[in-house]
Amino acid sequence: MQQAKFKRSRKAALIFMVPAATLMLNGCGSEKTAEVQVFSTPDECAAFYNPPAECQAAFAEAQALHPVVAPRYANKQECEADFGVGQCETAPAQQQQQASGSFFMPMMMGFLAGQMLNRGGGMAAPQQQQQSAAAAGGRNTVPNQPLYKSRDDQRTFRTATNTPVAAQSGPTQIRPSAVQPKPATMARRGGFGAQAQQRAAAAPRQTTMGG
Amino acid sequence: MKKVPIAPRPGWQAFAESVGFQFHTIDNEPYWDESAYYQFSLAQIEDDLETPTEQLHQMALDLVPDILQSEEKLKQLGIPETFWDAVRYSWENGEPHLYGRMDFAYDGKGPAKLLELNYDTPTSLYETGFFQWVWLEDQQMRGALPTGADQFNSLQDKLEQAFAELPLPRPFYFSSVTESQEDKGTVDYLMDIALQAGLDSRYIQLEQLGDIDGQLVDLEGFPIEGLFKLYPWEFMLQEEFANTLISSNTRFVEPLWKILLSNKGILPLLWQKHQGHPNLLPAFFDDGKQPLSAGWVRKPLFSREGANIELITDKGERLFQPGPYDDAGYIRQAFSPLPRFGDSYTLIGSWVVGDLAAGIGIREDNSLITKDSSRFLPHIILD
Repeated sequence: MQQAKFKRSRKAALIFMVPAATLMLNGCGSEKTAEVQVFSTPDECAAFYNPPAECQAAFAEAQALHPVVAPRYANKQECEADFGVGQCETAPAQQQQQASGSFFMPMMMGFLAGQMLNRGGGMAAPQQQQQSAAAAGGRNTVPNQPLYKSRDDQRTFRTATNTPVAAQSGPTQIRPSAVQPKPATMARRGGFGAQAQQRAAAAPRQTTMGG
Repeated sequence: MKKVPIAPRPGWQAFAESVGFQFHTIDNEPYWDESAYYQFSLAQIEDDLETPTEQLHQMALDLVPDILQSEEKLKQLGIPETFWDAVRYSWENGEPHLYGRMDFAYDGKGPAKLLELNYDTPTSLYETGFFQWVWLEDQQMRGALPTGADQFNSLQDKLEQAFAELPLPRPFYFSSVTESQEDKGTVDYLMDIALQAGLDSRYIQLEQLGDIDGQLVDLEGFPIEGLFKLYPWEFMLQEEFANTLISSNTRFVEPLWKILLSNKGILPLLWQKHQGHPNLLPAFFDDGKQPLSAGWVRKPLFSREGANIELITDKGERLFQPGPYDDAGYIRQAFSPLPRFGDSYTLIGSWVVGDLAAGIGIREDNSLITKDSSRFLPHIILD
C-alpha cells in the first residue's frame, strides 16, 4: 500500500553498462547456422530437385542485387587482378559517383538461395526444414544474393564481401550474420561533429554536448 | 528543503566505475558528491516541483504551433529559414519526444522559478535516474537513512516505459560525439534502458554517420531509420550533412521541433503569453548590444552548461562565464538568485519524460552560474 505512493522507480537495474553482463549479451558463438543452397545457374538449381519457378525467382533476386552489392573498382585492371581476365564488367553509376567516371565490378558467377525449400534429393523432410527456417526468423534469414569466384580460387563461391560460402553447388550450412548483403556504395562520412570540435577548441573544459 | 551532511559510502568510486560511471570525477574535481544530500518534504516535491513541471511543460508545448505560424517568432528564435518546413513537418507529423529537463531556482519556499528548458540534449540523466537511486537504497541498507525515505526519481521507470511504447523504428541507433566520455555514459544508460524495454539498440559515433544519396546510413551502409542523437540540433543544421536531415528517411529523437523549446527564446515567448505566472521570470529578447543593468541575466539563444552567460546581481555584482556560444541572438531574464546552502549555490533540474514529471537532480556550484563542472548531489523525500 505504501508502494503506490513511492515517487521513485521500482527498480533501477543495468544490463549492458555492467561489464559482466555485456559478455553474456554478446553471447559467444550462440548464433545458429542456417541451411542455404548455392548454384551457378537456375537450371542447375532445378536439377537439385528444386521447383524451377523458385529457382528462377531466387536467381532473379540475386541478379537484381548484383549491381548493388558487387565490390567496386576504380579501373578494370584492379578488378581483373582479383577476379581474372575477362571476368569484370562496368558497374552502373551511382548518383554520388557520376563526377568520378565509371567503375568496374566482377561478374556474377552464381547465386545463393536462402529460403528455398528443397523437395528431395535425400534432404531432410520439408516439414523439418520449414521449422528450422521459421526458427531462423527475423534478421537471421538469409537473403537470396549473387555469388562470385576469385581469380586464384575458381572453385569457391564467395559473397560480395568475400565470405566463402561453398566449394560446390547444392546445400550448405552458413552463419546468417556472415552473409547479409551490404550496399557497395561508399558512404560519405564525417558530416556531423564539426561544431563540437570548434567549440571544444574554444572551451576545452566543456565535457558534454548536452546541458 | 535542507542540506544534510552524510558519510560517503566507503569505496563508492570503485563501485561507480564498475557500473559505467567513469565521469564521477572530472579533471580531478569531484562531480558526483555524496558528502551531503538535500531533503524535501513530500508537499514541496509535489506542489512546488512536480505539478509546476507538468504545467510549464504543457505551456511550452502549446507555444509550438504559435511559433510555427509566425515568421517573426521563428526569426527571433534564430531558426535557419531553410529548415522552417522541416521543423513544421516534424511537429505536424507528430514525431514523438522522449525527454527534457527544466532548471529551477527553488529554496523550499515559494514558487520555483523557471530558469531555462533543456529540451534537446539534457544530460545528468544517469546520475539522476540510476546512481542517486542506488545511493538511497545503499544508504538505507546501511542504516544511514531511514527506510521511509523516498526520492523524486521515477526517471528510469518512465524511460523504460517510453522506449517500450514509442513508435520507434528498429533497429534504433544511438549516437554521441566521440570525444565526450560523459556523453557516451549518458547514451550507454539510455541504450541500457532501451534494451531492457526490448528495443534493438545500436551505437554509432556521431562522426561515423554516413550519407548515401541523402540517406543516413550506419557503418555497413544500412539505412538508419531511427536515431537518438546527443548532439544539438542547432549544430547539426550548420554542418556538412545538414541537408541529409531533410532528405533522410530517419526518425530523430529528440525530434527537430524540439529546437524551438531547447531555445532560450522560449523564455520571453512564455512570458509574453503568461505574464505574471508564478513560476516564470520576466524575460525579453535582447540584441546583446546594450550594457546589462542590475538584476538581469543575459543568455545566448543557444548555450549549454552556463557558457556565455552574463549576470548582474541586484547589488550590481557582475559575473560572466565565457564560452563558445556567442554566434546567435540573446535573451534577457530577470535575475532570481539560486539559494545558498553553506558555500554553494543550488539548482534543481526537473525531468520530463513524455509529458510527465519524472524526478529531480540537484547541481551545486561555488558561483551563481551553474556550469558543467558543478557537482551533483543526491536528495531524499522525508516528512
